[in-house]
Amino acid sequence: MSSPISSVRMKRRPLLAAMAIAPLAGAIARAPAVHAQDPLVVTMVTDTAGLGDQNFNDLAKRGLDQAVAELGVQGEVIESRDAASYIPNLTQSAEQSDLTVGVGFLLTEAITEVANQYPDDNFLLIDAVSEAPNVQGVLFREQEGAFLSGVLAGLMTESNQLGVVGGIKIPPVVRYAVGFEAGARSVNPDVEVVVAYADTFSDPALGKELTLAQYNQGVDIAFPVAGLTGVGSFDAAKELGEGYWVIAADTDQSQLGAEHQLAVSEKGVDTALFQAAQQVVEGTFEGGEQSLGLAEDGVGLGNPHESVPQEVLDIVAAYEQAIIDGTITVPSNEEELAAFEPVPIDAIATPVATPSA
Amino acid sequence: MALLTATLRSAAPLIFAAMGGLLCERSGVTNIALEGFMLMGAFAGVAGTWFSNSPIVGLLVAITVGAAGGFVFAFWAITLRADQIVAGTAIVLLGLGLTSFLTEQIWGQAGSSPGVERLPTIGLGMNVLLPVAFLLVPITHWFLFKTKPGLRVQACGEKPEAAQAVGINVAKYRYAMVVISGVLAAVGGAYLSIGDLSQFTTNMTAGRGFIALAAVIFGNWMPWATMGAALLFGFAQALRFHVQALDLPIPQDLIIALPYILTLIAITGLLRQSTPPAGIGRHASEG
Repeated sequence: MSSPISSVRMKRRPLLAAMAIAPLAGAIARAPAVHAQDPLVVTMVTDTAGLGDQNFNDLAKRGLDQAVAELGVQGEVIESRDAASYIPNLTQSAEQSDLTVGVGFLLTEAITEVANQYPDDNFLLIDAVSEAPNVQGVLFREQEGAFLSGVLAGLMTESNQLGVVGGIKIPPVVRYAVGFEAGARSVNPDVEVVVAYADTFSDPALGKELTLAQYNQGVDIAFPVAGLTGVGSFDAAKELGEGYWVIAADTDQSQLGAEHQLAVSEKGVDTALFQAAQQVVEGTFEGGEQSLGLAEDGVGLGNPHESVPQEVLDIVAAYEQAIIDGTITVPSNEEELAAFEPVPIDAIATPVATPSA
Repeated sequence: MALLTATLRSAAPLIFAAMGGLLCERSGVTNIALEGFMLMGAFAGVAGTWFSNSPIVGLLVAITVGAAGGFVFAFWAITLRADQIVAGTAIVLLGLGLTSFLTEQIWGQAGSSPGVERLPTIGLGMNVLLPVAFLLVPITHWFLFKTKPGLRVQACGEKPEAAQAVGINVAKYRYAMVVISGVLAAVGGAYLSIGDLSQFTTNMTAGRGFIALAAVIFGNWMPWATMGAALLFGFAQALRFHVQALDLPIPQDLIIALPYILTLIAITGLLRQSTPPAGIGRHASEG
């Protein structure tokens, strides 16, 4: 491997080249030969929460790191400070890379515009689909994983009050919230779920206050789906001490307070990014849409706290099977949630009790 | 009760930065750099705590860094006579860039620091800095209106030429006030990173420096009124969280807009009487 200094130089060179080329982009055809000898370049463009959100963007970065380690691609990250920098960042990325990854729903319009400008380049968009033919949109059925978190929370709550701390009210966050509520209501008819939005993915101090307000209202398990804002939920739980729980979304956040993390509603952003990089390396990458849920192992429930009893985990497993089998269709938006009939455990327990033939 | 403590917690970092901004503007220097000072203070507080394992040392490091940042701003805006808006913007950008860069250099991970120990709390989720913020308000008032240096600061802000003519060293007073504003805003940043939370994350101040400046203007450059404005902003946020937590049948979008609507109502009703110091942005020897 190269020394840190030379790797910095390696990173700068294509960037400088891109900057030099940019004004001439219309006049000079981009030479694919440049890439032929060099390793393929995969660049991820973050949303405004950026790296270090210990959540969504860092999870994508893990997939990129895996691609660098296992596929030998060159990985780059461009962080977006504000919504206005999405298009310049994606353009810079398209100039320098073989695969551009837009991390998040918020980049949908920007990536469509840039992908239309660069019809021969490959784009991966997490959490949304795009009209541009060269964009592969990956949608996760977060509601299925969140349903299992809701089942767990509904069985574990002592106050019968649960809270969702949302970042910005965008479809993937809503899918988490409604799936969670549907799951909780299925196993616990007395449960109340409050849903609040911080309207930002990048303000942990605000996330802490929002979570504290829910805890003070009687909530004992909070489910932050809020990027960096959700980091503050752990601070809130730590402040109030034992008996206050957090269910992490997207990825394990035990480094923020393992003793308060009840479980993780996992989302395979890293896997999706890695697989797209692999397709580019193998030359099989295609635009279009794919949907990843429990059946595809794209989402799931992981890292249950050691205090969660086995019986509870068994019930969660039964629900997981019922969703995979299609016995339960988990609502994915507020209208479907309003129409959703809770599915009690008795309704699905029979097929699980019978040993599979 | 929970609403009250949440209001105080949200308002305290604003009050630190706002009192600094108020003193600075009263001496005649426009200060849009508060956000940058806050971010530097938030970072320095965590870095100091991380290296020393003591949040008190972290706080002292934040104060030192705030003073240094204030000194740089003063050098640009007073000695070099740069445009104060441009210099202030430079401080904000410097704060954002430098803290992001150093986070990666020190901890080898982009965007956030590891968790560190917090400043001691005094109960109800309030840390030791919270009462200090509210004590600052009478102290600022007393300094500005009851002491000789305070009156001279006002003279520098209202009519720098006249202050110069009677032998007041305008540049010296302005330097002092800018450095104090850097220190206070940095303490406001440290309040967030090692008082309220226990780690630094990129751009964690999220515009609070600008809200503090709005509180100064809204408070008509008067300490008590500025505190009132900061409390109003804090109350609006706290109210929003509590309304959301109660799960009332009110549309989410309306609740999220609540702080902004309240601010708008207050400003349209009150801001007409707001008058900045007459000599703000002017140098003493300009004719």
